[in-house]
Amino acid sequence: MATDDVMRFFALWMLTHETADEGLKAAVARGEDSGPAGMEGGPDAFVDGLAAMVAAEKDKLKAELAAGSVERPSADEQKLALEELRFEVAEMRGRMDALTGAVETVLAKLDASAPVKG
Amino acid sequence: MSARSRRITGVLAKHWVLGAFRSGLGLSPRRCTIFAREWRAAFAELGPAFIKLGQLISVRPDEFGRELVAEMTAMQDAVPALPAEAIRSVIFDEFGRTPEALFATFDDTPIASASIAQVHGATLRADVRPVWGAVMPAGTQVVVKVVRPGAADAILADMVEARRLVGRFGGLLRGFDAMKLIGEFDASVRRELDLRTEARIADRFAFDFREDPQIEIPRICWSFTTRRVVTMERVIGWRLTDLDEAARAGIDSKALAIYGATAFMRQVMVYGRYHADLHPANLFVTPRNTIAYLDFGIVGHLTKDERESIAQVLAGLAYRDADRALRYSRRLGVEVPPDKVDVVRRELGTLLDSMFDPGGSKEFRHFGLGFISLLRRHHIDIPSGYGLLVKSLATVEGCARGLYPDIDIIDTARPFVTRLLSDSFGKPERIEERLNAAIHAALRELVA
Repeated sequence: MATDDVMRFFALWMLTHETADEGLKAAVARGEDSGPAGMEGGPDAFVDGLAAMVAAEKDKLKAELAAGSVERPSADEQKLALEELRFEVAEMRGRMDALTGAVETVLAKLDASAPVKG
Repeated sequence: MSARSRRITGVLAKHWVLGAFRSGLGLSPRRCTIFAREWRAAFAELGPAFIKLGQLISVRPDEFGRELVAEMTAMQDAVPALPAEAIRSVIFDEFGRTPEALFATFDDTPIASASIAQVHGATLRADVRPVWGAVMPAGTQVVVKVVRPGAADAILADMVEARRLVGRFGGLLRGFDAMKLIGEFDASVRRELDLRTEARIADRFAFDFREDPQIEIPRICWSFTTRRVVTMERVIGWRLTDLDEAARAGIDSKALAIYGATAFMRQVMVYGRYHADLHPANLFVTPRNTIAYLDFGIVGHLTKDERESIAQVLAGLAYRDADRALRYSRRLGVEVPPDKVDVVRRELGTLLDSMFDPGGSKEFRHFGLGFISLLRRHHIDIPSGYGLLVKSLATVEGCARGLYPDIDIIDTARPFVTRLLSDSFGKPERIEERLNAAIHAALRELVA
């Protein structure tokens, strides 16, 4: 009987998973049918839409894993990091321009105050 | 007491007496509005430091009553222009050269004159490469914003007087910490007196919106920028107060209103930096059907956690979920004492319900300022950042409604809120936090 109990436990475990899986699949299908605009229809519609978004992300992840590229930062992330760096360098150039202007100011003031040679 | 202290006290007392008289010794139901109008008149009379103080009050609904905030919002920062010679002498001090030596042309007639700075038109003598965006070729029209000579000294001297007066009479002011406000004001004005801060923020906004052709940020000419002078690209267009002319020129106001509100939501929810001093004078609509932001004097900053909490508060608003709005407001620093939680939650629920009633106001302003009034009524401290954000959102809504009266600001926030909430679902700490509740819910379903 003990063996029977364990079997029942696993059966229950399997049934729970199967039911949850079916529920999730139904939510994904509903979310895909109603599209992003459908998420505005209240909490249930939001969860359906979210399930569809997660499923789409899962497919993307699966494809990335198959291609062996999941560990590397995406091209978008790399581009973003490089653009941030480019901005920081450009900001430094702005500071340099301002400093150059300040040096020119000092020179102009020195020229103005220098005694006239005659 | 110095002569300036006596003048400040005298002007404030005069307008207080006028307010008391005009409100029938405080018996009129409109007394708050009447007094607010008198404070505005007093501030305008007292000059630059008080005009700036009025601007600070106008973005702080967390500290001041609705009527005073509305009056101070309407106060225009426009003062009589200084003669061009005074401005020319500042430019000479800063660069050691005359405006003619720096620029191809320089216009002595100012474009605008405010309490801290005066703005003149000019054109570039040679090409200028900005931090971000295309090179500005020689001949490009620019504006030269110059700190008014003496403005810094006058404002800082008034600040010293204000501290002295608050130290002496501050006890009479109930409901807010005047010394703390003066401290914030001091920091804000010192930032504004250094024009390089504004220039740096403008560059950052230009970078944030680099891929958005519908948003324009004036490019900065750093070679002609110092602490007291900033030179930037001149934006030609219409202020939000001149929209009739824009409409005649074929500008699509409705599309711009929706786009402008969305761009603001992006600032708040994605970049975590937002223009916190938006009013019709700081926003231009251009002939190219774009929106241009000007004047980055007051900017709000938000961390990623704060952005997520704001998204949750907005989600609470969208789903009439007072609990959620209150829980995440706490994360933003709104601490409701345990003995007041029930009553605040109940009143917040009523406020949310009123937004969904047929004929009820769907405006964010109604919720945001209503929530702040509710907290103030219960003497609950409101963090300054919260007040600044609520006021900014309400102002953006007001500006957008000026262009397109039916706009729903919450609707424009929805995609950003959804994205932020979706991002936060996957966080390990979030999963850990919700796992117990999820297991309990699952078990409840199983045994039901």
